[in-house]
Amino acid sequence: MQAFDYKKQTLEPIKSLRSAPREEMYLPGHRTCSGCGPALNYRLVAKAAGRDTIFIGPTGCMYVANSSYLCTPYAVSWIHAQITNGGGVASGIEAAYKVLARRKKYDGPFPNIIVMAGDGGSVDIGLQSMSAMMYRGHDVLFICYDNESYANTGIQTSPTTPYGANTTFTPPGKLVPEGKTLFPKDPPQLVIGGHPLVKYVATTVVSRPLDLMNKVRKALNVDGPTFLHMLAPCPKGWKFDEKLTLEMGRLAVETGMWSLYEWENGEYKYTHIPKKYKPVSEYMKYQGRFSHLKAEHIAKMQAFVDEKIQKVKAIAVEAAVPTPKAGA
Amino acid sequence: MAQEKLLSGCAAAAQAAKLAEVEVVCSYPIRPYTAIMMELVRMIHNGELDAEFVHGEGEHSQLSVVLGASACGARAYTGSAGVGVTYAGELYSPMAGGRYPIQMAIADRTLDPPGDFGSEHTDAMTFRDQGWLMGWASTPQEVFDNTLINYRVGEDQRVMLPQMVCQDGYFISHIPDKVIVAEPEQVKEFLPPYKAPHPLSLTCPVSHGPQIRPDQGAPMDAQRAAVFLEVPKVIQEAVEDYNRIFGRNYDPFVETYMMDDAEIAFFVQGAHATTCKSAIRNLRNQGVKAGLVRPRWVRPWPTTQLAEALSRVKAVGCVETSTSYGGAMRGGNLIHEVRASLYDLPNRPLVTSFMGGLGGEVILLDDFYYMAKVLTQMVKAKKTDKHVYWIGFEEE
Repeated sequence: MQAFDYKKQTLEPIKSLRSAPREEMYLPGHRTCSGCGPALNYRLVAKAAGRDTIFIGPTGCMYVANSSYLCTPYAVSWIHAQITNGGGVASGIEAAYKVLARRKKYDGPFPNIIVMAGDGGSVDIGLQSMSAMMYRGHDVLFICYDNESYANTGIQTSPTTPYGANTTFTPPGKLVPEGKTLFPKDPPQLVIGGHPLVKYVATTVVSRPLDLMNKVRKALNVDGPTFLHMLAPCPKGWKFDEKLTLEMGRLAVETGMWSLYEWENGEYKYTHIPKKYKPVSEYMKYQGRFSHLKAEHIAKMQAFVDEKIQKVKAIAVEAAVPTPKAGA
Repeated sequence: MAQEKLLSGCAAAAQAAKLAEVEVVCSYPIRPYTAIMMELVRMIHNGELDAEFVHGEGEHSQLSVVLGASACGARAYTGSAGVGVTYAGELYSPMAGGRYPIQMAIADRTLDPPGDFGSEHTDAMTFRDQGWLMGWASTPQEVFDNTLINYRVGEDQRVMLPQMVCQDGYFISHIPDKVIVAEPEQVKEFLPPYKAPHPLSLTCPVSHGPQIRPDQGAPMDAQRAAVFLEVPKVIQEAVEDYNRIFGRNYDPFVETYMMDDAEIAFFVQGAHATTCKSAIRNLRNQGVKAGLVRPRWVRPWPTTQLAEALSRVKAVGCVETSTSYGGAMRGGNLIHEVRASLYDLPNRPLVTSFMGGLGGEVILLDDFYYMAKVLTQMVKAKKTDKHVYWIGFEEE
């Protein structure tokens, strides 16, 4: 309401992995699967955000496998939200800190408020709550760690599950040979498309930690709602060898299945573009969820990716490492 | 000095919330509670109240927002009605189990189908077992008073529970009545600032709401149940303080009217108690010894106080303003708990129920006379033939 000078934080860019903070805010001892992409994401996000952070964890893998009573991995404050309402709970936290600061009941730095939601908690059942938070302009970073399915409940399709994936709700069968027939929702485009107060949106992937951490910092330095879409390869859901998590991230980028970009105040900027794209089959062949597909299905996937790549080429401006800057 | 004003139930709730200096308010429009939020945002936009006003995009998010705010130590306020109350359904248990003492104002409304704006208690009653404090006011004054009393009880460190402060839609929410609006000093004396014991903090990190193992479930449920054994004590203290500071005369748990020598009693929740009192005065003129017992709380249910209040009558008629389709008595909700409360009495009265006021219909004086006739016949016959009478649908 009233004009008030909240003590907003400014996070410096991380120049190299060597100079990344040593301090871990997401600690070992949780129950995620070995090779878990979302857990690696969480560790990097928490490291980049630092001590003055509050996490909101809507139900999903990163709730169920992390938050055992009396033994959670968070070294900063964390609250469970329902899978439906990460945006709503975060809005209330932000509103509370504002009014408590104004009424002189709180004098510390304004917290980094981060929602760590899965794809379901972001763009399926959680979409309404997230969208309203962004529309109202709360100073919250909403992260979708995208492992492309409802993995914790036993791998059911979500809106970001790729075409052709075998999930327990999209099993390939005689009548539906490819399993999943739909192409995925586009979360960053959903956010960019209709929220006037959102100034920064970016995509990143667990296999590029420096890119990921700096995008987190850049988003947190923006005064207002921001969104990060993080690819989080999932050995259990995608059915690949658990030692290949980072490799899956790399291949997703190299084949064009995943693109790395920032959107800032209406401008797109690609943070990495492969010199030459590999065929999607290079990525799909490691993953059991695609093993039932026939050549025609893979061709359909390739056509989908080719179209995406054309768009990238049209607006490509490269920037190797995103640079966080204060306020925006 | 405290001022007497002409206020509707909605305006009374907003005035009390302002005096409670609520910090985060979350709105969504649905008749008939909406005017509470209209009042509050007007105050906030005029600088009369320094609070964050968040427009939730639905009732589910309203409760999510105030949950987050309460978890950080802010006093939070929201409200709803009818299908709005049910739309928020997922959040009631997490809110109470997480011990977030937010307040939700409810001006009740009939559930769909079909669309109907009228008062009916089914909306909030549906969630009576989720661990919230809950009760109905019978006048705008009581709405005002209950708002402050509920914050005091809910935020007490021995309790730490969210509260539904209910009023009948339209009958209370929209009809202005005389309300004594308290002075800020009185409220300060009565209601200490909210202090969350374990807020989401940067200096002392905490985890709220982690997963438990099945063997940790029963101890937590037992703890949630045990709190309700403490609540009556806290209500008693709070209402005594309230009466002293604000010059009121509330019984903490049940209001009784002409019960000293009553032979038949009406059991009425909320606004219809006012009509019922007029009916009782007229019935008494005709020699019918009728009285009224009105619960001020649904949760905690005032079991012993009700049993005491109804222990000397011969017949009780529960006036049901909510539905429990297929329930044990095939009518409403209240009769189940009333009969359970009276079961251990040595000379328990006959109990039946009357479905009235559904869909927001007025319960007329004539309806109360009809009920009195049924109850008197029951006393004569010394038995209950029926557990439920649908007012206006019975063959006479």
